[in-house]
Formats: sequence, C-alpha cells, structure tokens
Amino acid sequence: MRVVVGAMPGHQHTPTPGRVGGASATARVFLLEESLTAEVVNEDVRPMPTTEPGDGATMRAGFQAAREELRANTARGAGGREALERHAGRVDELLRKLSVDAGESSQAVAIIALGGYGRRHLSLYSDVDLLVLFGGRIGPAEEAYLRSFLHPLWDLGVVVGHQVREIDEFAELEIDNPEFLLALLDARLVAGAPELFERLGSTFHQATTHAYILRSLLQLLEERHAKFNDTLYQLEPDVKEAPGALRDVMAARTIAALTDPLLLTRGPSDVGRFEEAEEFLLRVRSVLHYKSGRNQNVLSHELQEQTADLLGYPGAESRQRVERLMSDYFRHARTVSRSLEWARRTAPVPVGPNLGLTRDGIRFLDPIAAAGAPASWLSAFQAAMDGGTEVTEEALSCIREHVDRCRPQDFLTGPQDRAAVLRFMKPRSGLYARLSQMHECGMLGRLFPEFHAISSRVIRDFYHKYTVDEHTLLAIRNFVRLANTEEPNRLRFRRVADGLSSPELLVLSLLLHDVGKWRDDEHAPESERMAVAVLDLLEVSGEARAMVLFLIRNHLRMSLVALRRDTEDPEIVKDFARFVGTEDRLKMLCLMTLADIEAVSPETLTPWKEELIWRLYVDTYNHLTQRYADELIERNQAGMIDLLSGRPDDLPEAEITRFVEGLPQRYLHLFAPDAIYRHVRLARDIGPDEVHVSLERADMAWTLAVVTLDKPFLFSNVCGVLSSFGMNILRGHALTNPNGLVLDVVQFTDDERFLELNPDAEAQVLHELQEAVTGRSDVAELLRGREQSVVQWRGNARVAPVVRADGAASEHFTIVDIVSENALGLLYRISRVISRHGCDVDLVLISTEGERAIDVFHITKAGNKLTEEEQRSLAADLQDTLEGTS
Amino acid sequence: MRLIKSIVRPNKVDDVKDALAKIGISGMTVTEVRGHGKQKGHTAIYRGKEYNVSLLPKMEMEVVVPDAMVDDAIKAIIEAARTGEIGDGRVFVLPVLESHRIRTGEKES
Repeated sequence: MRVVVGAMPGHQHTPTPGRVGGASATARVFLLEESLTAEVVNEDVRPMPTTEPGDGATMRAGFQAAREELRANTARGAGGREALERHAGRVDELLRKLSVDAGESSQAVAIIALGGYGRRHLSLYSDVDLLVLFGGRIGPAEEAYLRSFLHPLWDLGVVVGHQVREIDEFAELEIDNPEFLLALLDARLVAGAPELFERLGSTFHQATTHAYILRSLLQLLEERHAKFNDTLYQLEPDVKEAPGALRDVMAARTIAALTDPLLLTRGPSDVGRFEEAEEFLLRVRSVLHYKSGRNQNVLSHELQEQTADLLGYPGAESRQRVERLMSDYFRHARTVSRSLEWARRTAPVPVGPNLGLTRDGIRFLDPIAAAGAPASWLSAFQAAMDGGTEVTEEALSCIREHVDRCRPQDFLTGPQDRAAVLRFMKPRSGLYARLSQMHECGMLGRLFPEFHAISSRVIRDFYHKYTVDEHTLLAIRNFVRLANTEEPNRLRFRRVADGLSSPELLVLSLLLHDVGKWRDDEHAPESERMAVAVLDLLEVSGEARAMVLFLIRNHLRMSLVALRRDTEDPEIVKDFARFVGTEDRLKMLCLMTLADIEAVSPETLTPWKEELIWRLYVDTYNHLTQRYADELIERNQAGMIDLLSGRPDDLPEAEITRFVEGLPQRYLHLFAPDAIYRHVRLARDIGPDEVHVSLERADMAWTLAVVTLDKPFLFSNVCGVLSSFGMNILRGHALTNPNGLVLDVVQFTDDERFLELNPDAEAQVLHELQEAVTGRSDVAELLRGREQSVVQWRGNARVAPVVRADGAASEHFTIVDIVSENALGLLYRISRVISRHGCDVDLVLISTEGERAIDVFHITKAGNKLTEEEQRSLAADLQDTLEGTS
Repeated sequence: MRLIKSIVRPNKVDDVKDALAKIGISGMTVTEVRGHGKQKGHTAIYRGKEYNVSLLPKMEMEVVVPDAMVDDAIKAIIEAARTGEIGDGRVFVLPVLESHRIRTGEKES
C-alpha cells in the first residue's frame, strides 16, 4: 500500500490508494477502495455501519476536548513537548476505542503510530500517521475491519495518513519508500496485538535495513536543505523543514539511534541545550497551528508578531519582540544544526548487528550489549577484514575486559558461529593484523586454548627469531601474501594457491601446526593431538578434518624431502607422491612449507630453497597425475587392510576386494571409507547393460557417482548429459579396474538451479544418464538446445589452451594433459575428440581452478599406448577444438 | 693451507660435513648457490607446459685445511657427495696465503 504518510486535503472521506502485498493483494485493495468510495457516496444518506450516532457524538466530543486542551495550553505559551504528548495520549485513547468498536478481524491486527505521532509529538493539525498491520493475508473480514476503523476517524475530521500492510510484506526491504521506513523507526503500538508489533520490530530492525535508512536519510536531508539554499538563516523559516528546524532534530536523533545511541552526548552542544531547542521549536510550531488554524509550519512575518506576543517576548514595540523571538529561533536552530553536523560527521556507519565503522575502525555501538555476547565478537574482526580496517581500541578494551570469563563454547553458540570462524580464516589481506589483534586482546587464546599454550613461548635454537605464537601468525601472513603476490618469481605459487578449494583449512592448519611446542619434545604429533580438540569444537569432519590433521602432522615433511633428499631420484619422488596421495594435499603442503619456513626469520626462505621446493612440487604433481595408473591397489596393502577391517556388516570382504582391487592406489587416498563402501554397494550385482547411479548434494556442489561396465563413449556421454542440463563440472575422477568396471565420480554445480527448483529433476537427470550411457538416447540430440554454447562452442578464451600428449610418463597409458578455460560442455567436447580418434578413456582427473580447467586423461588405443603419429594427430585435433577452429 | 671449495648436491651437505668431521675438519662455510656444469639444467613439464630449469640449486662448501690434510679431505668429500650420476658436483683447491683470527689477531700461514 503505497501511502501516505501525509494529509489528504479536501477529501477527508476519500481513502488513500494503498498496497497490501503482491498482485492479488493489490487487487483486493482496489476492491476495498471501491467499496469505501461507494460508502462515501452514500454517507450523507445513511449512517456508518459500525458507528452508532451516540458513539460518534461521544467520540467527536472526546476529540474536540483533546484539541481544546492543546489549544488552551498553546494559548498560554505551553504548547511544547508535554502538551503534545498529552494530546497524543488522548488520540491514542480514541483510536483504541475505535479499534474495539471496529469489531474482530480474522487476523491479528495492530494499530501502530508512526512518525511524529509515534514520537508523541502530535501538534494540533498534524497528520495522524498510522500503520494498520495484519498478521496474515488480508481478506474480506480485514477489509470490513478497515472500513469500520477508518471511516469514523475521517468523520471526526482527523487527517489520517495510513498504511495498510501484511506482516509478511516486511520480509523484503521497501527500497522505494524511504520516508515510510523512516516513519517506522518511531513505530509505537497504540492498539491491537502486542506480539504482532514485536514481530514487526524483529523483522524490521535489521542491520541492512538500518544501513539503508541511514543512507536514505542523509540523501533526503541534503535534498531538503538544498531547497533552503543550505542556510538556516531564513527570514521566514519553516520550523519543521528548514535547516536547524524540527526535521533536523529528528535527523540527528535518528542518526544516533541507528549508529550510536550515545552519539549526541558527545556532541558539540550539551544534550540539555539540544532538548531545549526542540522544546522551543515545538512550542513555536504549536502556536503556528493554533494561530493559523491549519497545518502551518512557516513562521511568516505576520505569524512572527503573533508568536512573539503569545510567547510573551518583552519589548515596547512589536519589532523588538519579533527580533527577540527570531534571535532565540536562530540560536536554537544553530544548536540543532551543529549537533546534526556532528552526528553526520562522526556517526559510525552500521556494518552489522551492534557494529559500526568509524574513522578509527570497527567498534561496538553498544559496548554493554557486546560485553555480554562473546559470540558476536568475531563479527567485529570479520567486519574489519571486510572493510579493510581494524578493530578499534575501544572495542578491543571491551573484549579484553570480559574475555577472561569466556570458554570456547561461549564464542560458538551454533553452526553459524562455527562457519563464521572458518569464513574468517579465508586468506585475505589483513588476516594477520586481525588475528594479531584477536590474540593481543586475549580472544584467540580463549577461543582456542591450544593456541594460548604457545603464547609468548620461547624456543631457543639457531634458526627461529620469534616466539612460537608470533611465528605462527607470521606463517599465516606469509601464506596470505603468497596467495596474493605479484612478484614474478612467486606467481607460480600464487597459481597453486588459486587452485585451493578450501584455503581456510590451510590457515587453520597453520594456526595449529606448532601448538605442540608447548612441550619440549617432538611437537608435530602433539600439535595433531591438540588440533583434534579444535576440530571437534568447530565440528570439522570428513575430508576437511583429514586434510587439517594430515597437514599438521606432516608440516615438516616436504622441506625435509626437498632440502635433504635427492629429489632427482625418481624413487624419492614416488615415495613422496605416495605419501601425500592427492594433488590437493600436495598443494596445501607445498604452500604450508613455504609459509612456515619464511616465518622462521626473514632470511630463512631463500629463492634457492623456493626452487628446490618448487621442483619437488612439480615432480610430485606430475607423478600423481600421470603415473598413478601404474600403481594399483593390492589385496594386502595398508589402506586395504584398514578398509576391510572397518567394513559395515552388509559388505562381505570379497565384495569390497573385488571392487577395489586393481583400481589405482590413489582411489584409497581420494575417498574416505564411507564413500568407498557406497561405491561398492552401487556396483553390487551390476549387469552388462546396466548403469548404477547415485546423486548427492553437499553444500553448493553435487556429486554424481556412476558405476557400469566399460562402454564406448562412456565418459563423454556422462559429461554430455550433465552439460545438457546446464551443469558445471568442477572436478572428478574416472577410474577403471582390470575387470572393466568403471567408476566415474563427478562433482558439479547446478548454476541454473535445475535440481533445486524442479521436484522431479534428480530422477530426470538419472534417467537421462542411464538412457545415454546404455545407448538408448543420443546425447548430441539432448545437447541440441545448448548447441551454441556446448557443441559448437566458440569463445574468446582468456586462458590459452594447452594440450600435451606424453607417451613416456606412464607404463601403460598415453597421458594427455589439457589446460583450458573452463566452459560448459568442455569435457564433453574433449572426450568426444578422444573417442573419435578410436581411443579409450581409461582414467581421467578433472579439476577446476577459478576459470581454468585442468584435465588429465589416461588413454589407450586397442589396449596399447598411442604411436607418436597418433599422439600428434590427437593433440592437434584437441588443440583445434579448444581454440574453436574445428 | 689450501681452500677446498666443493659444489655438491644440496642433500649431500650433511654427508660431506660428517665425513670431514670424521677426519678432524669441523669449521666450514656453506652457501646456497645455483649453477650448472655438464648437467646444464633440464626441462620440466608442469600442466602440459615446458619449463627450462637452466640453473640448478647446489651447495657450496668451503673449508681451509693444512696442506697435509688436503688429499684426505678431498677424498672424504668425493666419497660422501658421489651418487654416480651427472650433477654430483666439483671440488676446487686453491692456495691460501695467510689466515688471521679476528678475535686474537693471531696470524697463521
């Protein structure tokens, strides 16, 4: 209901157009208007349906009495705050009675005073601004209620500015109606359901809403001042609108209320003078209404004389009395103006619940509330990170003063707090500084007592230059710098960092990697043991947990191998590759090693050491991606024994062994036992023409597992079907065991939210996969709708495609390395080319790093590696495809 | 006195240090260096792209020994640093005219 905080001059019976919600609600409002209008037309000939003549007369008398009382107060110069509040109280009573008389609404309803009336500053001819709020959808009963409530009010001659809303409408911010939002700040329940009013409060008072209102207020203020040429020295000032007048009083108060309730107490004028100025302006305004008999707020020359006389200004001549009045006016207007300017300049910008951004950084708007809510403290540090600033000393003092009584769980009251800790650890500029602040004020050690154990801990050796806690924080700083470096020699490491899917886990690992140094013996196992408690606290589980513990346990391993072992020996690289297991772990460990060494002292990490670490990284990466197929799972190896010993009751040993044996060893690194057991079940009783498929969602990504016996174009068809539904494939693995059993596990995002928005979408995708893989449907046909983007994809690639076929890296396979710009259908296009060349895709590694897709295919042709000529031809064809020239 | 300057594989530093300690030589200077000899670097491939690694990381170890110990020292270094592959490094022997202890000002020659 787009209405009307304002008067409806000359048409006191005409309802103001309004909005009650969506399209259907709007339609109902028009119905309401029509019916109201019809009644208005007939008003002279029949009484209002719900207002008996006797009641109407009583009310009219009550309302007149209220006005007379205010008139009398004004006439003796006492039309200030107290009189206006009393008047508002009388109107409240009237509305309460009308609300009762209006009968029952089928929904909860609340009559809410807004704006000046909400503040109880109701002048003689001010509009009575109201919000009629319903707890549910507005139906005929509510429309009847509205008629019964509003008509008598208009009959009394009250100028009503009313809004009608359903509570659900407040779920979304009304960005096209800032005046209404401002008026809502002064909302006050007059009649009706208190719980509905409370719901309105909790829905409306959000940090984002406050921030929007503040921005709007400042804009409205500028526009309003511009109309007065930005000067308060008006000869005939508008005591409501002019600079330094009543709206500015409210603006200063609103800025303070939205940002810092104590703001005005620190302002240039003491609060008493500010209040005095408001009282003066209210009294003058009352006189203007009284003398003019209408909503007149301009203190014209004529009214200046009358006002000066009424307010008893001394002086033999009228001119003298007016001069004294106006002198007082300008003095008070200056007070208001100075306070407003102070509020504008110094008010913190709201950046979150109880958080404000000032020139000094982030501070708590209400330190007392913050002191009792340690779970909110992290948000101050997060806001400082987001705003590229720091947490103010004032806020740190508040934390310092109260942190000693906090336990870790006090900071983590729910899943959102635990997620916030990990979000905070995303490597961004400023993380080191904020963590240092958090450590200095005692919060870091209270959140993680494990970290407190190394606070100011000194370890004497020939290398370390800093205490253990500072070494730890510097390691995090070094990682953040590396991840954002522009140094040409270090860009290679930045690219590795770009490829991390969860870099915050590396920050967490760095934070905990040396906590075991509180003891004097070997620290890495102790750090790992202590990290378990932190991971329990943060409820980090699964792969993420395994990654953090692996990194902490082995944080010295890569430097040992790179700097102390003969990395030109392929066996050393092979052992190291087997040790790390996956590229993700390798990347994390590589960056951790660099950050850790660099934090020992400024001289410790030399370009020479960086080179050795880089070489080990590259050799290991190549081994992991190109040679893993030569290392197959055997029955008696360590991982197998663990897998079998922990198996669920429904899975016999033989079934697991039959599925897993002969798959590349990296399979045991890639998947947790639970996932492997699911794969085994998926493969159960599979027949030659069958495809068993599962689809699961975790956070934003979906994971598709396909088990089948090897078939021509299998991988290409799987990718093609996913692309036909608009899915963006992020990472995945295609694995084949010697029995021809294929397991494809593909992680993808559903950017078009097809799976989310369509109830039968999962079944549809799974059905299409089965049809396509078994050859009952044509993937090319499925893709026709996306032909431009997928099949005949042409693009201005920002990543120049690289294709390299290698026949020497692996014993049994030709390796095709492809780096290209990620695009919908990319894998489909690549694998179609490979299949068209008569090659079998035996193994695939898929990864995505930002806009870059990195895919490694292990292929054979008729069971053998490709010849040199076949390699060249395939590579050239792939290159042409990726460049869009074929 | 002779200055024995050895360029060895980084992972052989500890072995060489231990071998020299066994024959009574403990003082030495170790420096991270990069260079190439016959090994002339190699080509590394990362994600399909070739990278030429022309200067290889090595360690330079310097010890000053009495003339009488030079042969033993060289033998110890070579035995400890050798893998038999290209890139094992070199040993250079240079004459030292004088040596002065900074703390005491004592001169040796």
